[in-house]
Amino acid sequence: MNRDDAKALLDQALAAARGEDIEVFLGGGTESLTRFANNEITQNVAERRYLLSARVVRGKRTGRATGNDLTPAGIDRLVQRASSAARLQPEIADLLPLPGPQQYRPVDALDPETESLGADARALEVGRAVERSRAAGLEGAGIYEVRAGTIGDYGEIGPLAIANSSGLFAYHTGTSAAFRVSALDGTASGWAGHESHRARDIDGAALSARAVEKATRSREPKSWAPGRYTVVLEPAAVADFLQDMSWISFGALLVQEGRSFLSGKMGEKVMGENITLRDDPYHPLHRGSPFDAEGMPTRPTTIIERGVARSAVYDRQTAAKEGRESTGHGLPVPNTYGPLARHLVLEGGEESVEDLIRRVDHGLLVTRVWYTNVVDPKTVTLTGMTRDGLFAIEKGKVTHAVRNFRFNQSVIQLLSQVEAMGRVERSGGVVCPGLLVHDFHMSSGTEF
Amino acid sequence: MKDLARLALDTAAARGAGYADVRAIEFTREDVQVKNGEVGGLDLSESAGLGVRVLVDGAWGFAATDELTRQGVERCAAQAVAVGRASASLSHEQVRLAAEPAHRSVWASECAIDPFGVPLERKLDLLFRIDAEIRSVKGVKNAESFLSFQRKHQFFLSTEGSDIEQTLTRSGGGFTSTAVSADDVQRRSYPQAEGYYQTLGYEVVEATPYVENARRVAEESVALLSAAQCPSGEQDLILEGSQLALQIHESVGHPTELDRVLGMEANYAGTSFLTLDKRNKLAFGSKIVNLVADATLPHGLATFGYDDDGVEAQRWHIVRDGLFAGYLTSRELAHRTGESRSRGCVRSDGWHHIPMIRMVNLSLMPGSGTLEELLSDTDRAIFMETNRSWSIDQLRYNFQFKTELAWEIRKGKRIRLLKNPTYQGITTQFWNSCDFICGPEEWKPWGVVNCGKGQPGQVAEITHGAAPARFRGVRVGVGYDE
Repeated sequence: MNRDDAKALLDQALAAARGEDIEVFLGGGTESLTRFANNEITQNVAERRYLLSARVVRGKRTGRATGNDLTPAGIDRLVQRASSAARLQPEIADLLPLPGPQQYRPVDALDPETESLGADARALEVGRAVERSRAAGLEGAGIYEVRAGTIGDYGEIGPLAIANSSGLFAYHTGTSAAFRVSALDGTASGWAGHESHRARDIDGAALSARAVEKATRSREPKSWAPGRYTVVLEPAAVADFLQDMSWISFGALLVQEGRSFLSGKMGEKVMGENITLRDDPYHPLHRGSPFDAEGMPTRPTTIIERGVARSAVYDRQTAAKEGRESTGHGLPVPNTYGPLARHLVLEGGEESVEDLIRRVDHGLLVTRVWYTNVVDPKTVTLTGMTRDGLFAIEKGKVTHAVRNFRFNQSVIQLLSQVEAMGRVERSGGVVCPGLLVHDFHMSSGTEF
Repeated sequence: MKDLARLALDTAAARGAGYADVRAIEFTREDVQVKNGEVGGLDLSESAGLGVRVLVDGAWGFAATDELTRQGVERCAAQAVAVGRASASLSHEQVRLAAEPAHRSVWASECAIDPFGVPLERKLDLLFRIDAEIRSVKGVKNAESFLSFQRKHQFFLSTEGSDIEQTLTRSGGGFTSTAVSADDVQRRSYPQAEGYYQTLGYEVVEATPYVENARRVAEESVALLSAAQCPSGEQDLILEGSQLALQIHESVGHPTELDRVLGMEANYAGTSFLTLDKRNKLAFGSKIVNLVADATLPHGLATFGYDDDGVEAQRWHIVRDGLFAGYLTSRELAHRTGESRSRGCVRSDGWHHIPMIRMVNLSLMPGSGTLEELLSDTDRAIFMETNRSWSIDQLRYNFQFKTELAWEIRKGKRIRLLKNPTYQGITTQFWNSCDFICGPEEWKPWGVVNCGKGQPGQVAEITHGAAPARFRGVRVGVGYDE
C-alpha cells in the first residue's frame, strides 16, 4: 500500500475516534515463498494481508484493538472497541501522552522489481539451484522468499504507517528477498543463504554450489571429543548468537529490571576491545524502518563500543524513567517486554572466512548453529547445535568433517575471546562478520 | 464467508485446478496482561480471510487474501492456480491424495462459558488479585499474569464435496514471578511455563486455583536465588508432567512428522532419525513407554472434528510397549508409509498460511502409582519441574532442557531445593531408561502453545498428557559444569 492510500486509511481511523486521543498503525503487505525439497518444489504460497491496530488513550488509561476489516464500518467498529477497552481499564501511573509530529530519515528500501517478482521467476531461480544439487547426486532443499511491506516484522506484522491525533504521521515500506539452500546426502549436509532488499542480488545457483561443496565435504565425519576449541564461526552462526543476546540483554527495561548483563555495567568494559556493536536500521545492508511502533524516529545506538557498555535501546517509557529521549526502539504500547534492538550491526574487519581459517593451527569451522536457547541470562550462556557443515581445521586448512556438537557457551565470553573478524554480511536479520574465537565450549556429541 | 469460499473454489476449478480446497476463517483473540500492578497489555484482535489451496498438474499452489470481495477472492483463487502452475514446472512426482470420504458436518468444541462474553473487569480483577499475592512476597522483582482467549470459526470446502464448519474456542492463562540478584535471574511459573490452556471456555480459568498458588510460587522464585546449584554428573532423573510434556513434544512429536522424515523440512527445522525402515523395528523406549496421538482427546489444544485436509480426527499409537509404531501423516504423504488413509494431522495457524503436517495431541500413557510412591521408590535422584529452556538437534537425537526448579531426592525425600537444573541426553537412550511412570491419578493434559514450524513460520498449539516419570542415569547439570 502506498503512502497516500495508507494515510487516507489512517485519517479515517483518526476521524472515527471523534475527538478522543488515538494512535493507529497499519501493517502488512505481501509475502511469497517457494519452498523446495528433494530437488523439487514442495510448497508455494502467496499471501496478501493487512491489519489496523488502534490505541485509544484516556488520560492514564489506554486500550488497543486490532483487526483486518478495512472498510469504513470495520474501521469505526475497531476504534469503538479500542475506546471501550480504554474506558474499562484501571489507570497506568506512568502512561505517557501521545507524542507530536516527528522528523524521519528516509530509507531507500523499496525495489520495484522485487515487489513484482512472481512465482515463475522464483521457480526459475529455484530450478537453477536444484540443477547443482541434482548434478552432484545430492538432495537440494530450501526457500526463495520475497516480501513487500512489513509481514514478518516484530515476529508478526510491523507498522507500515502510523498516525496519531497529536499530528504524528510516519510511513515506510521496503522489499526483501531471501534465498536459503541446503544440500543433503543422508545425514551429511551443507547450507548457504543470502538476503537483501533486492531480488537481483540473489544467485540461487551460486548458493547451491556452496551448499553442495559443504555437503560433499561433510561425508564420513570423524568423532571429536567434547571440549574447548578454537573455532571459526561463519556469519550465519554469529548472527544467531547476537540475535539471542539482543532478546535478553539490550532493551532498557531488561537493564532497568536487573535482568540484563548490562545492568549496572554502563561505562565498564564488558567484552573484548575489538567488539563494537550497535543497532542501526540505516546500515545499507539493513535498510530497516526509520521509526518504531510508537512512531518515534529510530536513532543508530551504540550498545558496546570497543568492549565498553555504552547504552541500551529505549522506548518512550523507559527513556522517561531515566530522563532521556527514546532511541526509537519501542514495541506497541502497552507491553510487558520493553524496547528491542532489531537491526544489530557488529563491526567487522577486512578478512574473508578463508583468511580466518588460515590463522588456525587446530580448530573447527562452524557453518551455522541450530536451535539456540538461553541457559543463563546474566552470563548470556546459550546452548544449541552445530549444523550443516562442521569441519576440522589443521594448520590453516579445512581437512575433514567432524560430527556435530552441542555447545554451552557464554556469548559474553565468546565476544571477549575474538582473535580476528571477517567482513560483514547480513544473515538472519543481523549484519555481522565471521569470527575467529578461542575456547569455544563444545559440551556433547550427537549421532551424525 | 461461505459464499465467498464457494466462489473461490469454483474459480480455482474453472482455472484448471485438479483439486482445490478453501478455508474461510474468522478469528477472534483477546489477550490481557498485568505486570507489577498495572495493565501490561490488552489487545482485542479480529481477523478474517480465506486461503485457497490447489493442485495443478499434481503440484501445490496456495494463495491467501483478506480482500473479502468477489473481485478479491477471484483474484486470490487465480493466483493460487498460477502459483501451482509454477510449482508444476519443477516437480517430478504428482501429488496423490489418500482417499477420504467427503464430509458434510458442523462441529464445535465444548465451551460452557463464552470467554468473550465475560466482562473485561472480571478478567482484570482476577489478574490484579494474582498480581497482589505475588508482590506481597519480599524479593519479587516482576509479577506477570495473563489470560488469553481465542476462537476460530472456519468453513472448509473442497472440490471433492467436503463442506465442514468448525468452531474452536480455547482459553487459559498463567503467571510468573521473577526474582533478581546482581548475578542471577530466577523465575517460577504457574500452572506451567507459558501458561495453561485447553480447548474450552472461561470455565478453564475458573477451575484453576491461580490466586491460591501465587504466594507459594512467588516464594519459590525468591528462594531459588539462594538455593544450591544443581550438581553435575550422571543421576537418576524424575520429571514432573509439564516438563515431560515438552520432552514428548521435542523428542517424540517432531521426529514422527512424516514431512520431516521425508526431507520436506530439511532446510529449516531439519529431518528425523525415525526413517521409514525403523517403524515396527526400533526399540524407541522401554516396555512401559506408550505414546498415543489423539486428535479426539477431550479439550486438547489439537482436538478437532476434522483436520485442514478434511480428514476426520483419529487416535493411534506412535510408540506401543516401547516399539516405534507410527507417524503423523497427511493425505499427500500417507501412502509413503504404506497406509491408505491419512491420520489427519494437517493444520494451519490461520487463513493466511498453507496447511501442513502438525502434531496432534500426543501423550504418554499413564503407568501406575502416585508421585509419592515414585519418590518412595527412589534412593537418589534429581526431581525437575517446569520448563525454562529447550534445544534439540535437527535429527532429534541430542536434546538439552533447563527447568525452573529441582529437588534433590534422597531415600524418597525432597532434601534440598536446587537452582538452574539442566539435563541432556540422546532421545532413544533416554526413553529406554524410563523405568517408572505414575498412574492415571497423576496424569494431566499439559500444553505447548508456541510450537514453530514451516516457512513462512506457523505457530501451533498441542496438548501432551503426562504423569511424572523416572529416567535412569541421565546427565544433569550441563552448562554449569565448567
